[in-house]
Amino acid sequence: MHRGKGMKFVGDSRVKANNRMVNMPKDYSEYPGKTEAFWPDFLLKEWMVGAVFLIGYLLLTVAHPSPLEGPADPTNASYIPLPDWYFLFLYQLLKYTYASGPYNVIGAIIMPGLAIGALMLMPFLDKGPERRPSKRPLPTVFMLLSLAAMIFLTWESVVNHDWEAAKAQGEIKEQVDIEIDETAEGFLIFSGEQGKSCIACHGADMQGGGAAPALVGNELTAEEVAEVIKNGRGAMPAGQFAGTDEELQVLAEFIASLKAEE
Amino acid sequence: MLNKIYDWVDERLDITPIWRDIADHEVPEHVNPAHHFSAFVYCFGGLTFFITVIQILSGMFLTMYYVPDVENAWKSVYYLQNEVAFGEIVRGMHHWGASLVIVMMFLHTLRVFFTGSYKKPRELNWIVGVLIFCVMLGLGFTGYLLPWDMKALFATKVGIEIAASVPFIGELIKILLAGDATIIGAQTLTRFFAIHVFFLPAALFALLAAHFIMIRRQGISGPL
Amino acid sequence: MSNNRVSRRQFLNYTLTGVGGFMAAGILMPMVRFAIDPALQTKAEGDFVQTSQKVADITEEPVKVDFSYEQVDAWYTSEVTDTAWVYKSGDSIVALSPVCKHLGCTVNWNSDTEHPNQFFCACHGGRYEKTGKNVPGTPPLGPLDAYEVSEKDGFLLLGKKIANNLA
Repeated sequence: MHRGKGMKFVGDSRVKANNRMVNMPKDYSEYPGKTEAFWPDFLLKEWMVGAVFLIGYLLLTVAHPSPLEGPADPTNASYIPLPDWYFLFLYQLLKYTYASGPYNVIGAIIMPGLAIGALMLMPFLDKGPERRPSKRPLPTVFMLLSLAAMIFLTWESVVNHDWEAAKAQGEIKEQVDIEIDETAEGFLIFSGEQGKSCIACHGADMQGGGAAPALVGNELTAEEVAEVIKNGRGAMPAGQFAGTDEELQVLAEFIASLKAEE
Repeated sequence: MLNKIYDWVDERLDITPIWRDIADHEVPEHVNPAHHFSAFVYCFGGLTFFITVIQILSGMFLTMYYVPDVENAWKSVYYLQNEVAFGEIVRGMHHWGASLVIVMMFLHTLRVFFTGSYKKPRELNWIVGVLIFCVMLGLGFTGYLLPWDMKALFATKVGIEIAASVPFIGELIKILLAGDATIIGAQTLTRFFAIHVFFLPAALFALLAAHFIMIRRQGISGPL
Repeated sequence: MSNNRVSRRQFLNYTLTGVGGFMAAGILMPMVRFAIDPALQTKAEGDFVQTSQKVADITEEPVKVDFSYEQVDAWYTSEVTDTAWVYKSGDSIVALSPVCKHLGCTVNWNSDTEHPNQFFCACHGGRYEKTGKNVPGTPPLGPLDAYEVSEKDGFLLLGKKIANNLA
């Protein structure tokens, strides 16, 4: 087979004056040791590394389904956002005094800009012929310092973040479709004068809000509901209900009846 | 049969040197993990490219179900993740791949930095590499918004505010990214989608091509 | 080159193809399965849909019956309105789909004056007999689809579409 040989083009402009084709393999004879052909010798090794890597990667995707929080709700004012992990150090940086507020432009633009600019211009800042890290202390030290800073900032942002709360605020809320009997005595109490402070947080549709959970689809018994109304729970203060004990009983039973159908 | 087709094309286009150049070039010993185990640090670039390929493929498949629209974006992501067979895997590949690509690229950058491989004559390739780094971060940032869930919306709000704090042109950048001076909503989502699947990948392809062509031209840097 | 011995280079090429195939399969298999999922999803059994047509009012003359049902299209659920041509044939009720088997236009009853008492498709002049059987020599290649029919409280119920098995 004489593939690619003996071809003649009229006025061939690809042949260089020194008769060396640009796409001829480069010779590594200047380097000591054994060289080997890219195909198939070296590529096989690379692909074996790739295959092992792929297995680990697929195991990761199977073991950890990618997270999905509830649909975006721009009205939720209590949400504390967090960027993807590789931006965490920038996020943390903006929390410090001289990188936020009036100095915001320092933390948000100037420092990252300087860092990326310096990185990009590295070949022109470090022009010496030395390549060993130990022989060019300044670039090495600067890089190690910035690495340490990035790791420290990321670490700080992780330990200072309330992961429990973040998980709760992002949860996908099941839309509970329960018909509320608006003529029930319990509902009249809820929407009446006695229940004013109930509606304030749990909403007139009993679907909850930013500060309080939905009442429909709860998993409590009537006694437990009465207990919560009297003594509060979590963020809910005690003694908010303004009605009588009988009314409280009716209301508790009504709320306890708002269960999701099995 | 295949040989005949190959010969027919080769006779006309002389394609042999193109792949022979890639196939036959010699790989020196100091980057070969089979000879020196520590040479595995030279694999990071290749692995970055490997995940990039996976990202492109999984992204293409994800757009078969995904809709960039405030009403339906979240629903379609929820649907493809929970109702479609292997949806969890394909979205998982794209999600974790996004993180892994950053990790691998970072390690690759550190390898090139600490072996001093960016020095003459490879300055241009280093600059192209840093640009690829920026494009990848941009892909990560724009992709974060697309599922249109809580963290997507609020993280993007913060990100756009940061972009708006650029002196003089900040407001312009903000409007350009968000599509509106005040709302982070429907137009932001479509813009981020366009940036994520068309503009940045186009830039990425061009930069990657330049990166690889330069590697072939200049060869790998010698041992320390 | 001898015929039986595998050279080192060939062996490496085979291994390379194997490892490459493994990686390609690992990456592409989930994605391809993901892409062809709609073709493999089992359709939920079609429920009967209530129409506003009283069974007692159905005569030998085909009438148009509109009915609507909730259509779940992946993440998008919508109210879809459909139509059927309904008439009585002996004791049984026949409900035919108005979708022409030629290219999917909508057929009408008795709208072509030259061919009375036939279903007529205005797009390309396709015609069907009252039973839904396509008239030979007109564009359609098969009979109109029929709906499963049922009755509840005197009202007509329509089920899923079935292929008409007219000879």
